[in-house]
Amino acid sequence: MERKTNSEDYLRMYTQMVRIRAFEDQANQLYLSAKMPGLTHMYSGEEAVAVGICTALTDADRITSTHRGHGHCVAKGADFRQMFCELLGKEEGYCRGKGGSMHIADQSHGNLGANAIVGGSMGIATGSALRAKLQDSDDVTVCFFGDGATAQGLWYEVMNMAALWHLPVIYACENNGYSEYTATEEIAAGSIVGRAEAFGIESFQVDGQDVLAVNELAERLVARCRKGEGPFFIELKTYRYHGHHVGDINRDYYRSKEEETIWKEKRDPIVNFGQWLAKQGVASDTELEKIRAEVKAEAEAAVEYALAASYPDVSEVSMHVYAPNDAA
Amino acid sequence: MPHEVIMPALGMAQDTGLLVNWLKQPGDAVKAGDALFEVETDKSTMEVEAPADGFLTDVSASAGEDVPVGQVIARISDSPEGAGTAAPAAASEAPAPAPAAKVAGKEVIMPALGMAQDTGLIVAWHKAPGDAVAAGDVLLEVETDKSTMEVEAGHDGFVAALYAEAGEDVPVGNVIAVISADKPDSPVQTSARDKTPAVAPRKPDPQPVQPAARPEHPAPKPAATPGRDMVDGRILASPKARRLAAEQGLDLTRLVAAGIAQPYHVADLETLRALPTASPSAGAAPCRITASVPRAGFAAFVDWLSDQARTPPGAVQAVFAAASLRAATGAKTLRVRVEAPLIGTVSDYADPDLAGLAQATPADGAPPSLILRDLTGSRITDLALGADEAPVLSIATDGEAFSISLEFVDGQLDRTQAIAVIDGFAGRLDEPLRHLL
Amino acid sequence: MREITLSKAVNEAIAEEMRRDGAVFLIGEDVAEAGTPFKVLSGLVEEFGTDRVIDTPISEPGFMGLAVGAALTGSRPIVDLMFGDFLFLIMDQLCNQAAKACYMSGGKLSVPLVVRTNLGATRRSAAQHSQSLQALVAHIPGLKVALPSSAYEAKGLMKTAIRDNNPVVIFEDKLMYNDKAPVPEEEYLIPFGQANILREGSDITLVATSSMVQVCQKAAEILAAEGISAEVIDPRTIVPLDEETILKSVRKTSRAIVVDEGHQSYGVTAEIASRISEKAFYHLDGPVIRMGAMDVPVPFSPALEDITVPAPEGVAENARRLIRGEMFHAA
Repeated sequence: MERKTNSEDYLRMYTQMVRIRAFEDQANQLYLSAKMPGLTHMYSGEEAVAVGICTALTDADRITSTHRGHGHCVAKGADFRQMFCELLGKEEGYCRGKGGSMHIADQSHGNLGANAIVGGSMGIATGSALRAKLQDSDDVTVCFFGDGATAQGLWYEVMNMAALWHLPVIYACENNGYSEYTATEEIAAGSIVGRAEAFGIESFQVDGQDVLAVNELAERLVARCRKGEGPFFIELKTYRYHGHHVGDINRDYYRSKEEETIWKEKRDPIVNFGQWLAKQGVASDTELEKIRAEVKAEAEAAVEYALAASYPDVSEVSMHVYAPNDAA
Repeated sequence: MPHEVIMPALGMAQDTGLLVNWLKQPGDAVKAGDALFEVETDKSTMEVEAPADGFLTDVSASAGEDVPVGQVIARISDSPEGAGTAAPAAASEAPAPAPAAKVAGKEVIMPALGMAQDTGLIVAWHKAPGDAVAAGDVLLEVETDKSTMEVEAGHDGFVAALYAEAGEDVPVGNVIAVISADKPDSPVQTSARDKTPAVAPRKPDPQPVQPAARPEHPAPKPAATPGRDMVDGRILASPKARRLAAEQGLDLTRLVAAGIAQPYHVADLETLRALPTASPSAGAAPCRITASVPRAGFAAFVDWLSDQARTPPGAVQAVFAAASLRAATGAKTLRVRVEAPLIGTVSDYADPDLAGLAQATPADGAPPSLILRDLTGSRITDLALGADEAPVLSIATDGEAFSISLEFVDGQLDRTQAIAVIDGFAGRLDEPLRHLL
Repeated sequence: MREITLSKAVNEAIAEEMRRDGAVFLIGEDVAEAGTPFKVLSGLVEEFGTDRVIDTPISEPGFMGLAVGAALTGSRPIVDLMFGDFLFLIMDQLCNQAAKACYMSGGKLSVPLVVRTNLGATRRSAAQHSQSLQALVAHIPGLKVALPSSAYEAKGLMKTAIRDNNPVVIFEDKLMYNDKAPVPEEEYLIPFGQANILREGSDITLVATSSMVQVCQKAAEILAAEGISAEVIDPRTIVPLDEETILKSVRKTSRAIVVDEGHQSYGVTAEIASRISEKAFYHLDGPVIRMGAMDVPVPFSPALEDITVPAPEGVAENARRLIRGEMFHAA
């Protein structure tokens, strides 16, 4: 595994975070202007989590994603055009328009799918790790989920098995403080980290707004997983800038505007990492501004492309219900 | 390039947003993220931020208005002047139909006036852009279903926009005009062809569904027992029994008449076939008698008659047949059915010989006493098809003669009667005037 | 030909496929040394080791989820679900995850896994260990459902299920594990979606699944003694369903009874009967009769349990009434 020691690697992480933010800004605009079918859950604010972890992974490593999955998809290497096409239900989307925002995934980079059942992918991620162990493969699977999903019983069943069988899986809990429209303190008794520790799983807490800290921990744990030292649990403290979903506008009853402002102004992962890069002399403000402008232009062009792209032919409605079998 | 300020879709199931008030004035400098205006939706009020740095321009919605989601209500421009119009045209380079900028005010739609109307033709506008209107004023005339209707403005105010021109056919439900509360600075007049419209669709237009190759249903099959269903309710029979009965011309009512209990199944069709019957098809010996007479006499009679009165084709023959049958059997009432199979007509005549030159009587399902099959005018000269539900008297032309046949079964006529019927009919054809006198 | 039990046939099918394909593994509760409570899997762990015959904690949703993840990434797991009743525990993983992954990914992912479980009442196991829940999974697009009716069927269908690239739920009849049938030594597969005509007849069609195939075979014997010729058809898989074979038979006989051990309401019998009614209507000489388990939780007492499931004499009596042309329900 190549260490992120040179400026190119830092700039890649910066660019990936900017890409996620740009994607979400465009997605938000598509929703606001009524150009997007359905609704969507914004990843804005949590970019350092997906980028810090996915930068530690190769294409052979797998992830499972969530309803708030655009960030994981971008961080795992997806292309804007096919993502926007999926968001708009177009034929060229990653899932040919059959998945949409909540199931968006670029399978070719090891993304096993975004799951719209909260906690629904915990078994899948653990099963992927079981397969790696059975097939003597050194790939690692990362299971992304939110603090809300820690209330699902499935997690405790699969952590038990993952720990018993030393599976190469990393459970990454993106604790953004809210379980849908409810503060996490109101739904979680005791300690979330303590729950993983109860199974003998080595557990960590990290600042989810600090991409370097996240990445450093992820690199370490991925390497240990490859050596058979898994599983691991990471609680990443982070924040979602938008509501639970784009239509969740009236949030005063569960969190204050002041709290949102503090996170956005003081703890933004992109701004802070950009300042660090400038201070370290890795990139000037101008260079960072250029990256942001380029990414934004790319996102806008992808949106235009996706808006003009065609919907799947109606004949596709009954395709892909079943996978084909090899000719016997 | 200016940025559009759009009424956002904020809530979960929101179609419009109430513009509570503008927090910036037209011409004000704004920065991306500045609160621009307040929107009330889903019972809460939200501030909406400027999407870019620039100047607020082209404000087209005012406080208190309920604005459809997706509608452009202002722009953020590079200069305080902006585009100088309250209704900027849609960016022409946009690859997808972007929701066009809209004029604020009450919308007037093309009404659905007729029964099955998809569009309405605008005959004339009675108001011009900028005119003051009262709610009851006639705004335009629409032609639909071949009549012209006046359509009222519906709102007090000013004509801020007309989106179609006289002579244009506009789909029902389309916005064709906007009535604004305040006098518009630059009222709009466009053509329906410009597709300036209306509310941005909440959902993308689905691709037109190609109709699958689905042939129309084949011609309907004849009903199982046409015209002969039980009067007081349906016959209970299995789908297969019904189908076979229809295919084989079997009449399930006869099972009812014979006292066989319902429901009927395929096995009951055997019973049906074995039922003794007055019907000719069931085994009685068929009989046939033929005759031939010259055509000249009848032809001259018909020529003469056509100068005197209009009679339906076949009516004269029906009179002759009825008279012959009545003379032979002494029947008090009788009914002659005239069939012209090559033309496809069937006409019933009740006692035509007693009514002078009769008109056909409406078919009422009553069985005929005699069927007269008219094959004249065809190349058929003779035939033997067997009897039907009544004796069948056929006439065909054979050179200069009529060839006549009578087919019947025992039980319909006795043989002496039958001979008398065909003899009487042949005589009347040969010398029509004798009958008339 | 040799005769072996259904239990042995399933065991052979799994062993043969595990030898053939290293990606196949077994996972479930007490599948290794215990060989399951019905001892169907005995001996497999000795040959394949605990890496491929994996005992799990009692965590049905958990190991079902693991199987989905393994299947998505290149393994071909066989999930052993000890009782069909436990399907309710794994519904999210089976129906929201396994069944939909292929579709939601636009065909880019597939989930080749088998859930082997069982059905059937009359083992005096009461309401939570006696259900026949095949209709529940047959309702979900993306799943296939196989219902073997003998040792021969169980082996051929299991091998096909393991080779299928989709999630397949295969239900074995708990009462039939010790029933013997001729099973060839040579390898064979039974393709999905091809019904088996067990007995040809001209007066009535009996469509029967799984445990009910034997019931209908016995009913056909009773009827034959009375001069009534019954055709017995086993669809083998209800998803995909070999509609053509069933319709062809009904067009010939004009009468049909559909028998399945699931609850009658909203069940497998309802689906097959309605397809017959829709597609062979003008060939029907009477109503299509459904016979499923009574719409009650399975009772414990033998005096009650036995009357909840269709039996040969009941099938024969319905057949007689159809052939006599009796009115089943007041018109």
